[in-house]
Amino acid sequence: MTTHIVTKDKGGKIKPIGMESAEPQCQMAEDQLKGFAAGADSLNGPFFADLLSAFLAHEQAGFHLYQVIAKRTQNPMLARHYREFGKETEDHIRILAGLITHLGGDPMYVSPAARMTEMVGSKLLEIGLLAGSADIMTLELTMLEAVILAETKDHANWSFLSMLAQDLPDSEATRAIQAAVAQVEPQEDNHLSWAKDTWNQLAKAQTQSRAAQKIAESAEKAVGKVKDLFQ
Amino acid sequence: MAFNPLEHRGVPLDQQLRNWSELNVEPYSKDVDPYTRCRVITLNGIEVESILFSHQFARHTDDPDLKRFLAMTRRAEQQQQRAVNWLIPGDETTLEVTAGYEQVAIDLTAWIARSEPDPYLRQAYEFGVLEDFDHLYRYCNLLEIVEGRSAEHIIGRCTEVMPGRPTIDQHRHPHDDVRRHYDKHTVDPRSRLHALTVMSAEQQTMNFYMTIGNRYTEPLARALYAEIAMIEEQHVTHYESLIDPLETWFEQLVMHEYNECYMYWSFMQEETDPRIKAIWELHLNMEVEQLHLACDQLRRYEGKDPEEFLPKELPEPIRFQENKTWLRTTIAEQLDLTTLGTEFVRREQLPVDAPYYAYQERVNAGGVPSEQVIEEHRLDKGGEYRLETEGPHPVKELRAES
Repeated sequence: MTTHIVTKDKGGKIKPIGMESAEPQCQMAEDQLKGFAAGADSLNGPFFADLLSAFLAHEQAGFHLYQVIAKRTQNPMLARHYREFGKETEDHIRILAGLITHLGGDPMYVSPAARMTEMVGSKLLEIGLLAGSADIMTLELTMLEAVILAETKDHANWSFLSMLAQDLPDSEATRAIQAAVAQVEPQEDNHLSWAKDTWNQLAKAQTQSRAAQKIAESAEKAVGKVKDLFQ
Repeated sequence: MAFNPLEHRGVPLDQQLRNWSELNVEPYSKDVDPYTRCRVITLNGIEVESILFSHQFARHTDDPDLKRFLAMTRRAEQQQQRAVNWLIPGDETTLEVTAGYEQVAIDLTAWIARSEPDPYLRQAYEFGVLEDFDHLYRYCNLLEIVEGRSAEHIIGRCTEVMPGRPTIDQHRHPHDDVRRHYDKHTVDPRSRLHALTVMSAEQQTMNFYMTIGNRYTEPLARALYAEIAMIEEQHVTHYESLIDPLETWFEQLVMHEYNECYMYWSFMQEETDPRIKAIWELHLNMEVEQLHLACDQLRRYEGKDPEEFLPKELPEPIRFQENKTWLRTTIAEQLDLTTLGTEFVRREQLPVDAPYYAYQERVNAGGVPSEQVIEEHRLDKGGEYRLETEGPHPVKELRAES
């Protein structure tokens, strides 16, 4: 079963720093991280473990974002893509968790970087809190922008892994990273390019259409217009 | 008896509103079981926190659906708060209610400390309880001075009355009241509920003292409330900082409702007054439904499934019970603790330039009400008021003067 939220009973672990506290059995020791990706020579195991933990947190945040906007959008085509990308993102969670395990790590480890990533992700989800002062078109564009922001980082994460795998000498660890990248990167490319292209289309249609200006003045018509987009 | 509120439905929200007669409940009589009073005071604090949280949340959104949802549930919580708090009779004086508040602080925090799985969080509760323990001693002496009665008719013999960590020593620099927090991914569900509960109780105590402390005409009473209210501010800072700020608005909303279910369910089980037990049961059924609705909001706005982080059943119920032996041991072992930044240290370990000393010197200049009240009682009554049912004070220096 895919883990979308890490908790103590699922084996959650942290490396408490600064203002954090955790029960001893929930603490990840530096020694445990040193052996991470040991099969791939000369890597900074603890840093790489923290980084992959953050990448995993980003996928989990992306999954939640797609869950929300798939139901929130008024446009069937957008909804379909959000659902599809949400499912693919869920696969990415599973693949990345598998990679972490394969490299000798623990996918239930939530690094300090992962916590930061989760914070950023939670702010994207907060767009819903301001929906009261957004017309429907603004909301649709903002949801798409949230996808662009999330997928830009996602894309950067997998590009990094791809580049890293190219730099590393051949080893079982390197091949595991390459396999994960091969599965995920094309989909991430698709997610980002689709989001950017769709946003461009939507923004262009609105910018260049006098008819759209009139429709924006009528909320009911605006809903109808959004539903009919991309037909 | 296991209970998972997620597996039950409660009273539909639109049927939770009650009329004024229903809210203006018959108060308990003053000879009520002390722990019934403690449950009433605790649940009032829980309801007040849910209301204040809801107001804060509402100030961070303009989504009309969400604002209306919060307004509706908050109205139900407000009604619940009335029904709970109005159980306290008008002929219980402010100081008598105060004795009840401190008994809550002591025996609730003691139970939580003893059940807390995280060692750092446990230390936070052990630290705080010794301070509330001292507050009860100071207020009970004031009660005898001002109203000529001992507190035993309020607190029974369930909780001893004697010095804890002296209030005069509790005044710390604000920076030294900020604690480290649990992490939401590794926190035990009990720890989450504990932090929310004790924070709510101390917050209400702070609100109570800082509001009604000026209702007495006696200068010593006014002064003592002003002083102890400031310690309660310290305690609210201390307990609220245990909570992970990474928890989102909606996760906190769900946790508030979940904790309310937990508290009503816990207290329903051991409530001895059948009429009041029926109120706990009714409110539990209301909170169960509010929990479901909060979970729906979490799914809608954050795409998260609450069953992924809520436990499969409520933990062991919170109980009000005697903690005398445990308290005596904790007093003997931890009386001389203070804090330096986020950590707990022995007073002797403080560096000479610790902010603690300058703060103490500043606020304690010109006399300290918590010391004055004991001196006054000694002068007035030839000794101080104590209720030491288990023998002399475990710390020799704090034994009563003859």
